[in-house]
Amino acid sequence: MFLKPSKKLFYSSAVLIVLAITAVVIYPSDPIDYNTEVKPILNKKCITCHGGVKQEAGFSLLFEEEAFAPTKSGKPAIIKFKPEESELIRRLHLTDPEERMPYKHDPLTKEEIKILTTWIKEGAKWGSHWAYQKVKEPAVPSINDDWVNNNIDKYIVEKLEAEKLSPSKEADKATLLRRVSLDITGLPANKKIAAKYLNDPSDKAYENLVNDLMATPAYGEKWAALWLDLARYADTKGFEADRGRNIYKYRDWLIHAFNTDKPYNDFLTEQIAGDLLPNPSDAQYIATAFHRNTMNNDEGGTDNEEFRTAAVLDRVNTTWSAVMGTSFNCVQCHSHPYDPFKHDEYYKFMAFFNNTRDEDSPFENPVLRQYQGIDNVKFESVKKWLQQNAAPAAANYWITFLRTLQPSINAFQCDKFVNGANGWYATLRNNGTCNLKNVVLTGKSELLFKYASRVDKGVWRIYLDSLTGPLVKEVPVKNTGGGFVHTTTSLPDIKGTHTLYFKYYSPKIKNSTDDGILFEWFSFGNPFPAKEKPGYDSAYKYFNDLIMAGAETTPIMMDANEDLFRPTHVFERGSWLSKGKLVAPDVPAVLPSLPKNAPKNRLGLAMWLTDKNNPLVSRTLVNRLWEQLFGTGIVETLEDLGTQGLSPTHQTLLDYLSWQLMHTHNWSIKKTLKEILLSATYRQQSMFTKELLKKDPYNKLYARGPRVRLSAEQIRDQTLAVSTLLSPKMYGKSVMPYQPEGIWRSPYNGDAWKLSEGEDQYRRSLYTYFKRTAPYPSMLTFDGGAREVCVIRRIRTNTPLQALTSLNDSSYIIMARSFAKSMDKVNGSIEAKIKMGYEQMMYKPIAPAKLNVLTSLYESSLSKYQSNKKAATVLVSDSTLASPTNRAALVVVANAMLNLDEWLNKN
Amino acid sequence: MTQKELHNQRLVREAQKVVMQQHTRRHFIKESAMGLGALALGNLLGGCSTGSNNVFDATNPLAPKAAPFLGKAKSVIYLHMAGAPSQLEMFSYKPELAKLDGQDCPPSLLNGKKFAFIRGVPKMLGPQASFNRYGQSGTWVSENLPHLSTVIDDVAVLQAVTTDQFNHAPAQLLMHTGTPRLGRPSMGSWVTYGLGTENKNLPGFVVLTSGGNNPDAGKSVWGSGFLPSVYQGVQCRSEGDPVLFIKDPAGMDRDIRKASIDAINKVNEESYTEYQDPETLSRISQYELAYKMQISVPGVMDISTEPEYIHEMYGTKPGESCFANNVLLARKLVEKGVRFVQLFDWGWDTHGDSAGNAVDIGLKNKCRKIDRPITALLQDLKQRGLLDETLVVWGSEFGRTPMQENRDGKTMPFKGRDHHGEAFSMWMAGGGIKGGTTYGETDEIGYNIVSGKVETFDVQATILNQLGFDHEKFTYESQGRNFRLTDLSGKVIHDIIA
Repeated sequence: MFLKPSKKLFYSSAVLIVLAITAVVIYPSDPIDYNTEVKPILNKKCITCHGGVKQEAGFSLLFEEEAFAPTKSGKPAIIKFKPEESELIRRLHLTDPEERMPYKHDPLTKEEIKILTTWIKEGAKWGSHWAYQKVKEPAVPSINDDWVNNNIDKYIVEKLEAEKLSPSKEADKATLLRRVSLDITGLPANKKIAAKYLNDPSDKAYENLVNDLMATPAYGEKWAALWLDLARYADTKGFEADRGRNIYKYRDWLIHAFNTDKPYNDFLTEQIAGDLLPNPSDAQYIATAFHRNTMNNDEGGTDNEEFRTAAVLDRVNTTWSAVMGTSFNCVQCHSHPYDPFKHDEYYKFMAFFNNTRDEDSPFENPVLRQYQGIDNVKFESVKKWLQQNAAPAAANYWITFLRTLQPSINAFQCDKFVNGANGWYATLRNNGTCNLKNVVLTGKSELLFKYASRVDKGVWRIYLDSLTGPLVKEVPVKNTGGGFVHTTTSLPDIKGTHTLYFKYYSPKIKNSTDDGILFEWFSFGNPFPAKEKPGYDSAYKYFNDLIMAGAETTPIMMDANEDLFRPTHVFERGSWLSKGKLVAPDVPAVLPSLPKNAPKNRLGLAMWLTDKNNPLVSRTLVNRLWEQLFGTGIVETLEDLGTQGLSPTHQTLLDYLSWQLMHTHNWSIKKTLKEILLSATYRQQSMFTKELLKKDPYNKLYARGPRVRLSAEQIRDQTLAVSTLLSPKMYGKSVMPYQPEGIWRSPYNGDAWKLSEGEDQYRRSLYTYFKRTAPYPSMLTFDGGAREVCVIRRIRTNTPLQALTSLNDSSYIIMARSFAKSMDKVNGSIEAKIKMGYEQMMYKPIAPAKLNVLTSLYESSLSKYQSNKKAATVLVSDSTLASPTNRAALVVVANAMLNLDEWLNKN
Repeated sequence: MTQKELHNQRLVREAQKVVMQQHTRRHFIKESAMGLGALALGNLLGGCSTGSNNVFDATNPLAPKAAPFLGKAKSVIYLHMAGAPSQLEMFSYKPELAKLDGQDCPPSLLNGKKFAFIRGVPKMLGPQASFNRYGQSGTWVSENLPHLSTVIDDVAVLQAVTTDQFNHAPAQLLMHTGTPRLGRPSMGSWVTYGLGTENKNLPGFVVLTSGGNNPDAGKSVWGSGFLPSVYQGVQCRSEGDPVLFIKDPAGMDRDIRKASIDAINKVNEESYTEYQDPETLSRISQYELAYKMQISVPGVMDISTEPEYIHEMYGTKPGESCFANNVLLARKLVEKGVRFVQLFDWGWDTHGDSAGNAVDIGLKNKCRKIDRPITALLQDLKQRGLLDETLVVWGSEFGRTPMQENRDGKTMPFKGRDHHGEAFSMWMAGGGIKGGTTYGETDEIGYNIVSGKVETFDVQATILNQLGFDHEKFTYESQGRNFRLTDLSGKVIHDIIA
């Protein structure tokens, strides 16, 4: 008998392994922790081949049951308590590169092998990643230190002490004032609030300042801007023509929600499922526009189902990334490669969202219709009449219909056209036919529909199940002169779900290719109720008036009733065209299950999200709040708290804040923010020291305060504010401040950037019209995303294009002019003017060296302008000035001041 | 030494220089009198620090970097005809289709197919241009491109490119970002992320548009997706400022601008002393760079200073906004070290709904507008010794049907063709591409592919390959996974590589 060389190797290495294992066993220490010690090794060295996508040799380390299951060899690779029998360990020790693991990569270090071996020896206890574990009330470190202001600081000090670092002292009042104002309101504090704080020597001065700032309406505007990124809010639909979308009321809802400090659980519930709350208010409907900010594709011939599906997938991905700090989109195609989410679970989750009535319609259906003026009087009157005279279910049905025109079927769902076509409408020409699938006719006695025709004596025939099937109804259709009208026709008593076939004919039509009829929607139901009751005639007339009335519309989420229910399938490999098995709404198994009383719809989902057992929602929010204040999250990867994200710098602090948010502050964002803002950690001065530069260049330990470049919105808004141009106007349609010519050039779209008038040019940046394919240039340059999908985190850059913008953009020149004008109001020397301007910007006196530089800039510019008055006139652009040269030089200085590093940063 | 050897030597030298600069940079940082422990202290945010091999230095994100292997091309000029020109009137010679002209389309071609506008049974439409063989290679070119036919031996024609998108915006996104949805980085962003730029006074990725509209997919086709925004394409414009806000404000001359940037930087130095924030130093250098751009960009973007014979060659008219001017600009930019120049020319969507959109009228006019400048570009790059290191790509998002469009089942007023993703033509030249090649074949009417299928990912893989990247290894980590331009597909088209 021969021993093959490889077997020989096996025996000899087996001896080594036994030796190695013995060595480990002799020196026991603390038990190995799966999450902090084992999982990182598996993720880094093993899971690429033995994980979600690839499962080489039938071995996967992603899920517990997989890790201990038999592999292709028939034996499990990990035998609990028996490292010497575990193939996983044996393979780590081999020397043959074909057999040794990791395959074709560097071997594991001795230390790593030791960890895995000991772990198996100790029973290979599996663990779940910290972020998937319920938030428990954490113990606050007992720290006695004068520097400490509240519990947050204790967590910070604990770690600083371990690193032998000490915190910085509190920033000076002026710096702190500017920092906290920009953080709370996105603007410099107004003069009154600033003066009150600066002149208040008491210990309470800072806390009062925080309260004052949080009470200003600017607070809601600042924090809404953050949520607009997450909601991928835009004023256009995206894709080719990128037409406008009327959805600004959602932005206004956000501002109002933040200003009234709507508890975060309600804030989420209304956005995810406001439409499913009992008797939803207009505001609750509008909140659901959160998930109607997905893109629409109106391009000719696009498959509406493809883009509807894309929108639904985006809702799933956004819900996970924005609300739960988890990148779930990988699971769309396969089980998650690193985190314990299974492929099917993606689609179970998608089922929560898949039953909404939106279908990539160019009309944005369903929309909330808010009637204006006399129409609103009519609406209130019909509503009251229905509530008093109709059965509650019927009253509710028709009131909802007036508010949303639902339930109805978009006519573009018709198919199988012969001499007809579908686009935005379903069009039939002479003798043209088409069909409409899955129409539930049980209990339906009337069809309400909207159409247009330019032909007299038209006849629309409806057949059951085929063009040769029984005639359901022959409907005479009028010449509407091309305009759309709605009308009703009664239906015979038919049971079941059917495909209806439509045929149109008119003896008056000239060419067979002329359009006969265009349908917009169909609604199968019953007649307007309570015909026998007094007031019916006028109520029904108002009802008909209102269907055609112009109303303010906002796209909303609305679930289909059982007639229009849409089943959800798993998409094989993520392709919406390969539909796999049917699934029902559910949440991933690794997380807590749906609360017992939760319905299996978006409302149930909202209950699950806002349940205090949900481990991700509170952590994601407090991490984001922290990032807004400190520039970096406690987990830097806001988008991923999972195993592939970065580890938290202060995990117990993150849990503490999450606990506080839910249990102490009852989901109040203002209270949670306030706790962080009052910490000594936040109030530190932000200077680097040589030691910090070396030991903690990214300020992960918080031995100094935050120094971060401001956001695109903050930079423009604070500059408008200091130059006294900022309009305080809140809410309403988006505005168009100055932008250079030729930014907008969408094909098939005549929309143009029309400069807003008056103060609307100087509104806060969150009111600037946001066109997806051509965002406002300075927003884009300062790292605002295009909001095609959820912008989870803006990556700050520092580029020459940013410098060119704040130096040369006409908007910034206008601001510099206005700022110069206000500096010029100071009587006295140029130094006095610059001093005053700087103090308005920074709340503190200018350092002499800086003043010297700016004064010389003034002098040298002045001498230039004295020899070129024409240029001065152009720059100043103010015909009331007798001599523009001094002012022009001051504009140059103002422009320079508004470009200073300390102005572009919070310090 | 042959032209080729010279070229290779230049590339080697460049690679060495980059390595040396990186070394010196390290040296500088180490020895810097400022005592900056690490210059790369910028906001190293984004997916860039999640333990992946993302290379993003926020303090100098556009520093030239060496490709993983020695590529043939240093830069790319990508000419995209937005709207989808008809391959059947340009490069795809189909005499059989002429015989079928006017006949009903057989049902076999229609079953299970979805069209953007064709409904019911359309008629076949024969080629609306005559073809001939040109050059040593005998490549077929239509009468619509008389100039290009003279340099066709420098060109490798891909006859069987395919896409699964039949609408403009998603198809353009697929071609340029690797997915039909919005949100991924564009090819130019990937390339500038990977290679940086050689001229730090100019953007690394420049976009020029003509034809009156932006491409259908908007600025997303030159967006940076999840890459840092510094890598997005900078749209240079032929009217107004060539780069947004590059001009001094009215009434503020260059000297005053210089003085004010100097003042800003002096005050910022004071702030640096106060805060010791390395990001402040970075801002100082970005303001200096902004000033340098103000000086150099307008000159580079001004074609009026080119000699008369160049204008004659390209058919350029300084001051106008047109494709020819953009082509000449592309040459100037590449010459100055810009890495990726992306041109979009809008107006190729020849549905036959108007004379301008007819394949026998409008298409001929569009061809006339591009034929001379593109030919001049190839000749001009060649005479400057730049063709070897500049990859020129011509193409679109898809092609057009051999059937005449019958929008909504009706006869159209002019001869037009509908969108067709199954098979269309593109070409590449220079940058190590084997000229005089024709790769791929379609059936007798240009409807389906017979051989040599090229997917959009293959085009991307080939472009990256010519620049020195293995498209499968060129990744960026975002949201927990490594992304690449070619997604999960892509094969380098070795048959067209010299």
